Amino acid sequence: MIKAMEAVADLVTAGADDAAHGGSSRVIRVRVLRQDVAGGESYFERFEVPYEPNMNVISVLQKIAARARSQDGRRVAPVAWDCSCLEEVCGSCTMLINGRTRMACSALVDSLVSTDGDEIELRPMSKFPVVRDLVVDRRRVFRGLEKVKAWVPVEGSYDLGPGPRISPEDQEDAYPLTECMSCGCCLEACPQYMKIETVRRDDESESDFEKRRKAAFDSGFVGAHAISQAMLFNSHPTGRMIADERLEALTAKGGIQMCGNAQNCVAVCPKHIPLTRSIARAGRAATVWAIKRLFDR
Amino acid sequence: MSDSSPSFLERHQFLIYRLFSLAGLIPIGAFVAVHLLTNASILAGDDGRTFQSRVDMIHSLGPLLVPIEWAFIFLPLLFHAAIGFVIIANGMPNVGSYSYVGNVRYTLQRATGMIAFAFIVWHIVQLHWLGKPFGGGQFDPHRAASTAAEALQPTLVAIFYAIGVLATVFHFSNGLWTLGITWGLWTSPAAMRRANVISIVIGVGLATAGLGALAGMRSIDVPRAREAETWAEKQKHALSGPGAAVAPVPIPNAH
Ligand code: HEM
Ligand code: SF4
Ligand code: SF4
Ligand code: FES
Repeated sequence: MIKAMEAVADLVTAGADDAAHGGSSRVIRVRVLRQDVAGGESYFERFEVPYEPNMNVISVLQKIAARARSQDGRRVAPVAWDCSCLEEVCGSCTMLINGRTRMACSALVDSLVSTDGDEIELRPMSKFPVVRDLVVDRRRVFRGLEKVKAWVPVEGSYDLGPGPRISPEDQEDAYPLTECMSCGCCLEACPQYMKIETVRRDDESESDFEKRRKAAFDSGFVGAHAISQAMLFNSHPTGRMIADERLEALTAKGGIQMCGNAQNCVAVCPKHIPLTRSIARAGRAATVWAIKRLFDR
Repeated sequence: MSDSSPSFLERHQFLIYRLFSLAGLIPIGAFVAVHLLTNASILAGDDGRTFQSRVDMIHSLGPLLVPIEWAFIFLPLLFHAAIGFVIIANGMPNVGSYSYVGNVRYTLQRATGMIAFAFIVWHIVQLHWLGKPFGGGQFDPHRAASTAAEALQPTLVAIFYAIGVLATVFHFSNGLWTLGITWGLWTSPAAMRRANVISIVIGVGLATAGLGALAGMRSIDVPRAREAETWAEKQKHALSGPGAAVAPVPIPNAH
């Protein structure tokens, strides 16, 4: 069975090599920071793929997987990566491409090559634990959303009737914030967002570990995406019903006070979400809320 | 991460960071601005007389000056610096990968905070009476212009002062801009741009005052300033001594 697979792989590789040598012999060199297991050592491995016009980084990774050979011809395990929508809406393919956080599906090889040269460097995000190669565990992104209750609370056993109307102006103001895809670019580029990696102890139950990990996540910076979502739902007429709970979360440990105003988040967000506006609005809301609480007690 | 319960700092993180931010503006920032503008009065061209009168005004507080200095300058500064170092230790600058203007400013805010700290400690030891046990404390409030001028004569000292003043002024004026975001005074990108212009104007103004004061102190005529100070002191004694109003001391070299 394995023999047969290797034979197939050899055929595929031979085909790829032919393509590389026939016609245009231009190749794209790729350097990938690999890691075989969570918590393991990382190492760079080089690959070559035949150039084709209009490739993106995902198609480069597909070619690497098909060939499953390093640049020096050794048979290696295919590089693992995450992707889904391939049109910059799902947020799953975030990685460091030539040192910067961005979506692999919208990173076009032609433009990368024209600005940075013929070699492309791929690394997993540095602020999240690596699962394998370019796949990272982004659970903390979602914990941040959970912490600030980034939803409209309409759970119930009876019909609440139609929601309140939202003026076109408010809709326009809120719309850009709804485009967040939880990709984590804003967190990766933020100098105030530090990596948190918890490892399950041998004597620990799954639920104890889950609790400990949540506490660890909550002690770190909640992140620009969550601040922005909290502002989105605090501006929504129904979402506003738990505005105070969101502000409570935003002023808890790891809240907005951790932001150092570097404004990298807004510069790297693939959806161009006005994150610093949300952060400043959250700052204003927290100021008012803290003063109110001081005198209402 | 251990299972230990959160520290005091962590439980009151929001409040402490907001007090840290406020301290940067009031009283520290306000003091720095007044301090630099007071010093710039050395440029009045009257052998330090205006400067001396401003210093006299401050020292007219008498024994109250010490508690006021501690309550409104030293303690808030130590608090701001302590939290500042905690903040610096908890961040990881990345201008290498993301060289946006905002990120450069973020990094400079931290670098200038540390330079300001080193400079202010040295500045206090060199000139303030607290520095006397350490061989410093060269500034004599009764002989303001001449003692300041003498302390600032060495070129190396002047260079340290220029760096220290510029770092502190950058830190304060850039801090004004971030403070407005922290507290939510300016929220839209357009408002942030306008606020930026204001903080640049304040920064350039204070840098001019600070460097002007430095150049002014270094270029005054020390013997003449000393004469003016001696005269002023005699005048004060004459005014407070017996037969005060009868024999005012003539003004030397007045023109
Ligand atoms: C000359 C005295 C100082 C003045 C007038 C001053 C003023 C300020 C102001 C107004 C801010 C803005 C606060 C905000 O964004 O909310 C600030 C921030 C900061 N200061 Fe100072 N500061 C001084 C000294 C120091 C010192 C000695 C340090 C310690 C090394 C320091 C470290 C910091 C840091 C790290 C920040 C950035 C905080 C953040 O953006 O999260 N500062 N300072
Ligand atoms: S705010 Fe932007 S960068 Fe951050 S997670 Fe959402 S889409 Fe990604
Ligand atoms: S503005 Fe705040 S959240 Fe955004 S990158 Fe800077 S420190 Fe991080
Ligand atoms: S694959 Fe969905 S954003 Fe790239």
